[in-house]
Amino acid sequence: MYIYDDFDHTVAQQRVAEFRDQVGRRLKGELSEEQFRPLRLMNGLYLQLHAYMLRVAVPYGTLSATQMRKLAHIARVYDRGYAHFTTRQNIQYNWIKLEEMPDLLAELASVQMHGNQTSGNCVRNVTADHFSGAIEGEVEDPRIVSEVIRQWSTFHPEFSWLPRKFKIAVTGAEKDRAAVQWHDIGLHIVRNDADEVGYTVYVGGGMGRIPVLATKVRAFLPKPELLSYLEAILRVYNRHGRRDNIHKARIKILVRDLGPEEFIRQVEEEWEASRQSGVNLPPQEEMRIARYFELPPLEKIAGPVAAFEDAKKQNRAFAQWVATNVHPHKAPGYAIATISLKPIGGIPGDIAADQMDAVADLAERYSFSEIRASHIQNLVLPHVKQADLFAVWQALGKIGFADANAGLVTDIIACPGLDYCSLANARSIPVAQRISERFADLDRQHKIGELQIKISGCINACGHHHAGHIGILGVDKAGQEFYQLTLGGAGDETASTGQLLGPGFSSDGIVDAVEKVIDTYLDLRQPAETFITAYRRVGPAPFKEKLYGAKQ
Amino acid sequence: MALNSSRVLDRNGPITDGWQRLADDEAVKTGASALVSFQRLKNEHNALFAEAAAVGVEIGGDVTLEELEPFLPRLGLIVVRFAFMRDGRPFSVGRLLRERYGYTRDLRAVGDFIPDQVLFLLRCGFNSFEVGPNFSADALKHGVAAYTVWYQRGVERNQTVAEMRLGKAKEQA
Ligand code: HEM
Ligand code: SF4
Repeated sequence: MYIYDDFDHTVAQQRVAEFRDQVGRRLKGELSEEQFRPLRLMNGLYLQLHAYMLRVAVPYGTLSATQMRKLAHIARVYDRGYAHFTTRQNIQYNWIKLEEMPDLLAELASVQMHGNQTSGNCVRNVTADHFSGAIEGEVEDPRIVSEVIRQWSTFHPEFSWLPRKFKIAVTGAEKDRAAVQWHDIGLHIVRNDADEVGYTVYVGGGMGRIPVLATKVRAFLPKPELLSYLEAILRVYNRHGRRDNIHKARIKILVRDLGPEEFIRQVEEEWEASRQSGVNLPPQEEMRIARYFELPPLEKIAGPVAAFEDAKKQNRAFAQWVATNVHPHKAPGYAIATISLKPIGGIPGDIAADQMDAVADLAERYSFSEIRASHIQNLVLPHVKQADLFAVWQALGKIGFADANAGLVTDIIACPGLDYCSLANARSIPVAQRISERFADLDRQHKIGELQIKISGCINACGHHHAGHIGILGVDKAGQEFYQLTLGGAGDETASTGQLLGPGFSSDGIVDAVEKVIDTYLDLRQPAETFITAYRRVGPAPFKEKLYGAKQ
Repeated sequence: MALNSSRVLDRNGPITDGWQRLADDEAVKTGASALVSFQRLKNEHNALFAEAAAVGVEIGGDVTLEELEPFLPRLGLIVVRFAFMRDGRPFSVGRLLRERYGYTRDLRAVGDFIPDQVLFLLRCGFNSFEVGPNFSADALKHGVAAYTVWYQRGVERNQTVAEMRLGKAKEQA
């Protein structure tokens, strides 16, 4: 993991001092709420329905056990004993007091954490594959370049007041677990024919009310030139992105309005003019950062691990958990374990302070103190010995996080919705809970197979419904909560936008509708077909017919 | 019209300022320093440069810099207006004027920005600030001292954190 040096510490301390001063001026009335708002947002502080909400950055989803304990402490002391992992690998607290924010930020800074740029019209927390550095087949660990980008984008003099928020995601593997095509900039680390490392660059993806998959603007950008190229993109956007209409301000609209060719031309022209200006990182600095992401000192383990193989044979529940929640590690004898924050009937992504401490203990004991947050709102222990998996699973059972449902129908993403969010049309969490309860039977879940349900409480799409195999969108219909269904979205390397199926369903009807969709799929699927592959083969017609009758 | 209700500051506080902002139909007082709109500059540049002691121009973040370029060697002041507080375009305009177009004289921000943004403006090449009566010079002084190290290079050609690290590594080697 990256560790701050004196310079990083100085920046972090100065940030806390600056915000302490700003809160003081706000409380004295020297700053109006309108002036203060963007300042607090750039420290992650939102004003919500009931209280302030704080979003703490978990850069590229990597956390240490010590940091997790601090997050638990903050939940206890400054909040109501729990917090919420989000779809952007961040963690949110829902009941924060403004006066306590400076002390809270100081506590975060003491463990090298912050709320910097988790909101506001700036470069947001960079997200990356949650299996980074542990999974086989990466060209490079995407956290290295993510940390480079974190530093470069922190308090950037030119790009801190963009037309709109700006999200960057990175994947280092062919299999895209970071949804790069759904981001303002998506980077895919690749190797060219000359065996040099670089990036395929995507620009202009985004969800919200106008879902757009990103445009590939460059097939290969040499690694040493990344920052100057990012600056060229951001400069074109900062100068020409729309500022008159908040719904048209994302870079995806600029790319659309200019047309991809013209957008690319402008970026390349800007880049040619500025690429020698000394923005690129010195290679020594890149190497310095890279060293922090080397593998921890793993043991050499040869051949199958007998204890692990036996445990699977003897304990069916454990074997089921391994089938869904354990991924192969690049080192033999090790594994990547997903901790499901989706217990049946629970609130997706919620975690209590005691559970956080327990996860920190497990990370310390079994995973070199390392934890990851995934954009699917789960946690990951990235470096667990296969021989320890059974113990990990048992310990997770004690805190209610041993569900064998990673990637299955109950591994639902849901935004906060009307329970917390001032923009919501409808509740998201109770719908997730009821779907989860409907499909509680684990054998049935495993039979259905890989399936992503994603729920948003309004068109802003914080719950990624556009990218859900089954997407659910809350709408307001004459003062009633209604839910529309979209099918066929995806966030991986085969990214696609879900298509609206037809008229929406009432809060009571939506769970039945989801069940009908799934039953239809089970009836028509061919051997080994997942929901999304089956849907791509047959299209929406059979599902429409089941839900709305033959006429449709 | 003199800048009655407004003041001009630099990073250390209030400064005296002799520029006169002229409406488009207002005559240039011979020998005075005239601050005009970009439209007027384009229409009347010959007369302006002949009559005024110095010429300044006010532009917005939407300026086409190629159009301004021919005038740059003769301008003594460029004022970039924030259309609203969250208007981020002046930051790019400032940096481009300094780094790409080589403009070296007075570069001033005006409009709805707040003291907390001034440090960033300085780093993008601005050196003076026209502000309203409620703008706190103390907050500005405080704000520009908020950070002492930076990950990025600004127009002031500071050492970046990466360069400081390399320097430190060399020292220790
Ligand atoms: C409760 C307070 C929240 C508010 C007020 C809020 C507000 C918004 C708004 C207005 C957008 C649309 C932005 C646009 O189209 O430009 C948006 C998008 C988004 N939000 Fe939130 N959000 C909240 C919570 C969350 C949470 C908890 C998550 C994670 C679970 C989240 C993740 C996202 C994501 C991933 C997007 C889509 C980004 C895209 O358009 O590409 N938000 N949010
Ligand atoms: S999708 Fe809408 S309801 Fe859900 S969190 Fe985002 S803004 Fe709120």
